[in-house]
Amino acid sequence: MQERTQSVWQRMLGIDRRWLYLVLFVNIVTFLVAPIRMPASISPPVQKFYDEIEKLQPGDLVMISSNWSASTLAENQPQLEAVIAHLMRKQARFTIISIEAQSRDISYRLAERVTKDKGYQYGEQWAHFGFVPNLIVAIKGMVNDLPNTIKQDVRGTAVNQLPVVRGVKSLSDYKMIIDVTPSGTLPIWISYSPKNVPILYCPTSVMAAEAYTYLDSGQIKGMITGAKGAQEYEQLLGVVGLGTRFMNAISFSHVLIILFILLGNFAMLMNRLQLRREG
Amino acid sequence: MGVLNHLIAQQSVWQLPEGSRVLFATLIVLGAFVLFLGLIPVLQTLPPRGRRAIVVIITFLAGLFFAAEFFLPINWTAIFPKDDPTRNFLTPAIQPAQNVLQIIGALALGLGTFGLVRLHLRNVVQKRAQWGYSIVLLVSFITMATFSILNTLAEKEIVERGPVLERGFSILFDYTLVQLDAAMFSLIAFYIFSAAYRAFRIRSIEASILMFTAMLVMIGVVPLGAYLSYTLLGLPEGAAPEGANFLTQVQHNIGLPKIANWVLTQLNAPAQRAIEFGVGIGGLAMAIRLWLSLERGVT
Repeated sequence: MQERTQSVWQRMLGIDRRWLYLVLFVNIVTFLVAPIRMPASISPPVQKFYDEIEKLQPGDLVMISSNWSASTLAENQPQLEAVIAHLMRKQARFTIISIEAQSRDISYRLAERVTKDKGYQYGEQWAHFGFVPNLIVAIKGMVNDLPNTIKQDVRGTAVNQLPVVRGVKSLSDYKMIIDVTPSGTLPIWISYSPKNVPILYCPTSVMAAEAYTYLDSGQIKGMITGAKGAQEYEQLLGVVGLGTRFMNAISFSHVLIILFILLGNFAMLMNRLQLRREG
Repeated sequence: MGVLNHLIAQQSVWQLPEGSRVLFATLIVLGAFVLFLGLIPVLQTLPPRGRRAIVVIITFLAGLFFAAEFFLPINWTAIFPKDDPTRNFLTPAIQPAQNVLQIIGALALGLGTFGLVRLHLRNVVQKRAQWGYSIVLLVSFITMATFSILNTLAEKEIVERGPVLERGFSILFDYTLVQLDAAMFSLIAFYIFSAAYRAFRIRSIEASILMFTAMLVMIGVVPLGAYLSYTLLGLPEGAAPEGANFLTQVQHNIGLPKIANWVLTQLNAPAQRAIEFGVGIGGLAMAIRLWLSLERGVT
């Protein structure tokens, strides 16, 4: 029995997924290395984030909660780098805390590298408080008694011996909290941190949709959404960082996905018409 | 007796004189171990109903403590004028309770690690199916743990950071673990692309609206959207000037980034808020059930 040949539309609908993977891979690599720079339109949440940090005075103390691991590195690393760059520009002091075991090392090494380039002194202008296994407990503890909750930094120095937090008794003594995270840690910070300390948020793109309610209510003062937000932030800072480099590939990947969705629907439509014609 | 009085007065072992500190800390740790190790056989001898009663009582008291500390008025001085106005009478107990929770959290990590190693050791010893992967896991685990512990000790300047440690940790962490983890997660983009092509079909009005909105947001949030709107089409960027006519206002608001932002803030945010209210109420109900040990599985 002769096998019925497939139409071009049927072949399109049944395309081997490996071809799709290849197309996306080539697209990403091409636009990662292509020297195209498209300026972003600054979104209101990013502008608010920037304005909030601009209000800081030299010496103000900021808590950065860094809870991301390598899996979301492409989005959270550009955010954290841009935020630390801005804090250093404002000569603010900052401390980092992680509730993700891997993030303890990633954020510490990242901050060490970025601060070394600008001559920021560990212990004097910044410090890393290491890994805490339970964020709710840690925040409640820091609100009551920060030195006794954290006890020592990643280098084993007692917190009350660190010049960067000299005189700090509680989280209320901080000027700002910045949550860089791919997880649902934001509601915890909102619920348990002191109400006088503003919160800024750096989620991955997939988490950002949930945070617009908190932005509306003023419970967070600004938001950098994924690598796209990082690119906007780098643009505000006037630097070319990872966000700017990643966004080309992301932009054209979005276009490719849209094109292929349209293509898939077109093939489905044409296939239906053909089947109808053939009875 | 003098040391005990001092301990009670200072409320901390670490504020004792140097000589007594180590002794007392050791005694406390050993005492805690003996107490808990002694409790396990006692609990084992209890009938299931008795064990359940103990778990229920401890769960209820722990929940009650945290809830009471949170909800009792902060300004306790209205009732006890001499007390600290920034905290109620339960607040000083929060810190030790939180230390206990941190220790339980750390113990859970240790327990998980122990379970993982035991399972894979058993796989290797009994040569179960695919036991070769278990060897890979155990070797990776031991190597990574060794270098990580040494690296942490070097950060605290307890051991010297030699070139072997520096290079070894960097190869294992920066150039292996981080890259593998990032690569694993990035595979999702390929699955999404394939799934979008195969499954995102316009079969109904709702699906069409969803697809059209998704496309607008996907293009609007990336720089390409701004390029298409403001550079290619020449639409005006930023807010329309005050008193501008209708056409100017429309022109200022139909850029793709503006539309994407409108969808996110005016359509997405209210829907998310409704979902979060639902989740919050559900979470509260679940918390009460857990607190009162009404959930199944409390034994």
